[in-house]
Amino acid sequence: MIALALTTALLLGDYAPQPMASEMLPPDQEARVQRIGEQLRCPICQGLSIAASPSPAARAELDRVRELVREGKSDQEIKDYFISRYGDWVLLSPRAEGANWIVWVGPALLLVIGAITIARTLKGPKAATAAPAPTAPADDEFLRRVREEVDG
Amino acid sequence: MRTWIAIAGLGCVVLMVVFYRAFGTDPHDVPFMLKGKPAPAFAVTDLMTGQPVTSEQLKGQPYVLNFWASWCEPCEAEHPTIEWGARAFSDRVRFFGVLYSDTAENGKKNLAQRNASFPQLVDPHSRMAVDFATTGVPETYFVDASGIIMHKYVGPLDRQTLAYLVDQIAPRRAEAKQ
Repeated sequence: MIALALTTALLLGDYAPQPMASEMLPPDQEARVQRIGEQLRCPICQGLSIAASPSPAARAELDRVRELVREGKSDQEIKDYFISRYGDWVLLSPRAEGANWIVWVGPALLLVIGAITIARTLKGPKAATAAPAPTAPADDEFLRRVREEVDG
Repeated sequence: MRTWIAIAGLGCVVLMVVFYRAFGTDPHDVPFMLKGKPAPAFAVTDLMTGQPVTSEQLKGQPYVLNFWASWCEPCEAEHPTIEWGARAFSDRVRFFGVLYSDTAENGKKNLAQRNASFPQLVDPHSRMAVDFATTGVPETYFVDASGIIMHKYVGPLDRQTLAYLVDQIAPRRAEAKQ
């Protein structure tokens, strides 16, 4: 019954979002639109690109990408258009600059440190040379008196 | 051994910085970089009259843009507040509704059920909405007389907030004289 009600509501279209997609471009340009869209974050989704999200906001942004491609803008110009509105947040892969380097270099650095640690652990501790037993100085007064007591 | 302790310590500090930066922000909070910057130019049409409405025509006038859609429940709840604002501040600010990701037919049907006293604009392909960095509806933009976006409000407005934000872009006449 619920399914029937939902289907009817969607067919009537009264409450369904009506994204008005712009006309598709030739295949090579459309592939570029999708490629750029995959790099831009959907503003209302959890970690989805605007190319992957069916939300109205993402559809509208992908339409804008399509329009900018049609106008002959370069990939960087299109990304800059979105960065000027949402900041670097809009990029699914942060730019390799400033504090962002931590994100790019950090994992590799941790991997190297981990590998070195494992290598050192597997190699084991250096062969320990038996330390010579400490010898008491011959003229130790206390030991001399203990020996006398023991020996009688 | 001391070297490794130093490296581990440095790693901890770096992780703390990363976590501090990440935890210091709300992941749902979408940055808005247009605040304090000129409003994007637009050229759209009036939903009811079909007359063109452009940013050029609004030069020198403060205005409020309210993005909404017929399928948006929070927008329904917000309409009376926007309508109140459009009437209460009509001498200082121009109000416009902008249909977002919706059809003109659905917009007109929705408007037929309420008595909107201010112009409603059609935004084909939501181009104007994307230019304004809209992330959903309802969202309301407050643009001052010099064409600068002073505020963007996400979600349904209440009267008090609307009045406060209108004051920011168009001070009351007594305040303006001071």
